Amino acid sequence: MNKKKLMQLKSRIAILFFLSFVLLVIPYSKQVFSADDAAQQTVEGGAAASGVELPQFETGQPTAPPQQAEGQPAGEAGTATATVEEEEAGPVQYRTFFGIDSRVVVWIVSELHLMFAAFVLGVPIFAVIVEIVGFKGGDQKYDKMAKEFTKLLSAAFATTASLGGLLGFCLFGLYPEFMSHMTNVFAPTMYVYALMFFGEAFTLYAYYYSWEVLKGTAFKKWFHIILGVMLNLFGTSLMFLTNSWATYMMSPAGVVPATGKVVSLYHAFYNPLWMPVNIHRLIANVCFGGFVVGAYAAVKFLGAKTEEEKAHYDWMGYVGNFIGIGALIPLPFAGYWLGREVYSSSPVMGNIMMGGAFSWTFIIQAILIGMLFIGANYYLWLGMSRIKGSERYTKYIKFLTMIIFMCFAVWLTPHNLPLSGEERAMIGEQYHPFSKYFGVMAAKNAVVNMIILATFFSFLIYRRSNKGDTVPFSEQGKAGKIGIFSAVIFSLLMLVSYAISLNFVELEASVKVFVKPLIRCLYIQAFFVCVAAFLTFKNKGKLAQTLLFAVTACIAVLYFWYYGFQVMQKANLVLRYLSVTQVSIVMSCLITNAIIDIFMFRKAKLVGGIIWGKMPVRSQYALILLCVVIVILMGLMGFIRSGLRMDWHIYGIMQDTSQWAYTPQLSYMGRIVGLIVALFLGLVTFVFWLANLGEKKVKTEVSDYEESAGYEKAH
Amino acid sequence: MNKSMLKVTAFGIAIIGFYIYITMYVSGLSGTGGGESAGGVTPEAGESVFWGDGQCSTCHKVGSSGSATRGPDQEGLVSRADERAKELGMASGLDYIIESIVEPEKHVVHGYDKIMPKVYDPPIMLSREKILAVIAYLQTLGGEADVPAIMKYKDKIPEASKKKVKPWIPPVAVDAKEGEKIFFDETRPVTCGKCHVVNGKGEKVGPELTGIGAVQTPEYFLESILKPSAKIVKGYETMYVITTDGIPYNGLIKSETESEIVLLKEESGEIEDVIITKTDIAEMKKQEVSIMPGNIGELLSVRDFYGVISFLQSLK
Repeated sequence: MNKKKLMQLKSRIAILFFLSFVLLVIPYSKQVFSADDAAQQTVEGGAAASGVELPQFETGQPTAPPQQAEGQPAGEAGTATATVEEEEAGPVQYRTFFGIDSRVVVWIVSELHLMFAAFVLGVPIFAVIVEIVGFKGGDQKYDKMAKEFTKLLSAAFATTASLGGLLGFCLFGLYPEFMSHMTNVFAPTMYVYALMFFGEAFTLYAYYYSWEVLKGTAFKKWFHIILGVMLNLFGTSLMFLTNSWATYMMSPAGVVPATGKVVSLYHAFYNPLWMPVNIHRLIANVCFGGFVVGAYAAVKFLGAKTEEEKAHYDWMGYVGNFIGIGALIPLPFAGYWLGREVYSSSPVMGNIMMGGAFSWTFIIQAILIGMLFIGANYYLWLGMSRIKGSERYTKYIKFLTMIIFMCFAVWLTPHNLPLSGEERAMIGEQYHPFSKYFGVMAAKNAVVNMIILATFFSFLIYRRSNKGDTVPFSEQGKAGKIGIFSAVIFSLLMLVSYAISLNFVELEASVKVFVKPLIRCLYIQAFFVCVAAFLTFKNKGKLAQTLLFAVTACIAVLYFWYYGFQVMQKANLVLRYLSVTQVSIVMSCLITNAIIDIFMFRKAKLVGGIIWGKMPVRSQYALILLCVVIVILMGLMGFIRSGLRMDWHIYGIMQDTSQWAYTPQLSYMGRIVGLIVALFLGLVTFVFWLANLGEKKVKTEVSDYEESAGYEKAH
Repeated sequence: MNKSMLKVTAFGIAIIGFYIYITMYVSGLSGTGGGESAGGVTPEAGESVFWGDGQCSTCHKVGSSGSATRGPDQEGLVSRADERAKELGMASGLDYIIESIVEPEKHVVHGYDKIMPKVYDPPIMLSREKILAVIAYLQTLGGEADVPAIMKYKDKIPEASKKKVKPWIPPVAVDAKEGEKIFFDETRPVTCGKCHVVNGKGEKVGPELTGIGAVQTPEYFLESILKPSAKIVKGYETMYVITTDGIPYNGLIKSETESEIVLLKEESGEIEDVIITKTDIAEMKKQEVSIMPGNIGELLSVRDFYGVISFLQSLK
């Protein structure tokens, strides 16, 4: 027995050594590096000071009416000189990490820190929700699962903090000038960060160690839940704080560019990309936490010795996947908003992102997101096998598979598919005459919405698998009515308020006419949401859902796919309004149909029940796939977000003049991100193993005690 | 490590391996030479640079792609380059293209201004390889790329400048956000947003200024505001029209059909449309004077003035 454990330990240590070796060796392999010019770094003097002449008006030059507001006229600013500061031989700008590429070191450490931080921030949200569900429903297994994950958190938290410290040292050591600027701007928020960190540490440990103490009464349990909520508040505040530093680098504001003097800390903090990144990361962290939990459960399931263990981890995997998908569905919308704000804050950066050097990274992103949706759907379909009665719905799976794969194919089509000179000559234009229609944003937006609708449909049939005859809606009581009314009012507010706001957008009249169809579509959707509610009240919930699905698919997918092309050709500016309209319509369908489903199948007869643990092994690999893919996706998106600054530390303010001021090519990025993912998963496995050591020891001691007690009793 | 854990590890490594393979495949597909060079000299890489970090598309369009009019439309460039090379006594169209990039002020196309920056200097600072790639892409616009021929000119392309870009310092402390407010403030006697579009906001009477900070210097903005007629962007020249009744008009041509023109005329700070039937036009010629008011410098305080410059500079 001991030998076996020793062997396991040895093999784990060997893997760790291997990963450490890879980390050290890869940066040295120079052939994978490719700099535009990685040679000398010279810092020359800036341009000479230049004066601004007084206005020289030509004959007939039109003039505007005189100034009425007070203030010194700019004409007197002729003496003002736009000087360019002479470069001074200053302190060290860059250092290397024992001769290794500083950028790669910071890249790996920051990404690892970010991934652990995402876990540490995402899982508490998950844990508190699960704890509340368990407490309200009186099901102890939820409570047990929430505690199990909080135990993992405390080990992961220390790793996150260590990596954060290492990242700080790396940044201050390797990029001193840059960090001097950042400290100059954000020093006050750094103290707040430290305080928040204490807050998170204290609430995390209090939350975990008081678990058993705060059991017994409702008051105690609620107090414990509040501790969990506090933990999330501290964690989210920490993330928001650091996001402001990261987004300031992309869309700086509130400082005098030349001197770094802070004009407004508020604007530097609340810079244009801060909130979009906050929202995107918050949702992504929940999704990340859900899928990591799913993978943990899958590994445990595969190694389970008893049926009871299998049932527990099968259920845990289901919950993890459910939360992962739940967060995955709104994630493309948040991502779209972020992308739109990148365009708004800097059109050049926006062009680099979607039409320039980074546009191909979105093809890779599409592959990964496609894998997530396909994997999540596949798991749901396999999950139906553990439910008696699901055979009524399995006939839909082949259609869903077709839809998802077709949408995936469209999503993968690149807009600028490179053609050879010969091909171009043959076709007579720059882009492929057929595939170009699938590569543009209008097509991609349409299929993303279709994938979301299909995934939601998968979830609905999964939900219904165990449900038989329904109770008439009129017998659902007040809760049903309130629920449907709330969903309808929320959807109507969302649709109608946006339709009204579209009437007031400032656009040229020739462009604004293209907004009118969007307003009409929003009102049509609002009308059908009301019709769906009416049909539900008339005990025709299934018809209501079908109608709403059909109308939504017709408007948000088919019509907007076609109309998107029209808009792109004739009024490109309207595209941003079209996308929001599309999102609003799909969201209203998801919300209304979900609520109808909940109340339609409440009190419905159960067909046969769910047999937890009765899952094929391949379903667990689907969960592992989801986890690995979400980690890779996080690595890729980190590269895109950071790389968009091109050769600027702080976009437009502080240039990167180091020898690594070039955008690495995709294959190189792939290798580094692959390494980061392998390191992260290895470290997480190690941390989970450490966290479970104590438990194993307790179990062994208990079993030894029971054995010896039995021995004594027998003798 | 038990058997199931080994299988899971192998599965995880396989997914990561698949991802790395995809990045290498896409890297090759996108024209970066199978992933072993930083882009490479290929038309595809050049196309990315043209529409991306080369920022060429801020001033040039290619047929129906893009909408910029500051510089010439690049569609069918190869045949035009050959013609100009012949006119100038140069060996080939390729020589003309290369010289136009290396020394942009040497060959300015008739009707356009000397506004093209040296792309190897700040703020664009393209590497030699990227410039060569752009040339390869330009060769495909009406012809075929000849990379070996391009590579012979390698030494003629300067290496990217290593000068550190020093941010422009306004003489008074200003905030670009305030400048943006002034730019669109319609309560003032002069409102930039009434004639210029920035990120979809404003009226398109004068040239669009979205992304202008990435390609122009603060000195250019100072001159353009204080002396608007010094450089008039192509397509925005003031037209002088005298009707057969002897009524003179100065303005920009908004639209033109076979029978009439619509002239944008500035009157007391307001822009209005004037429709003139072509049969009523006695004379029409381009003016050397911009329609943009020349006294904006007198209408803004020093702080407001530099605030607007700072805002324009921030449009990157």
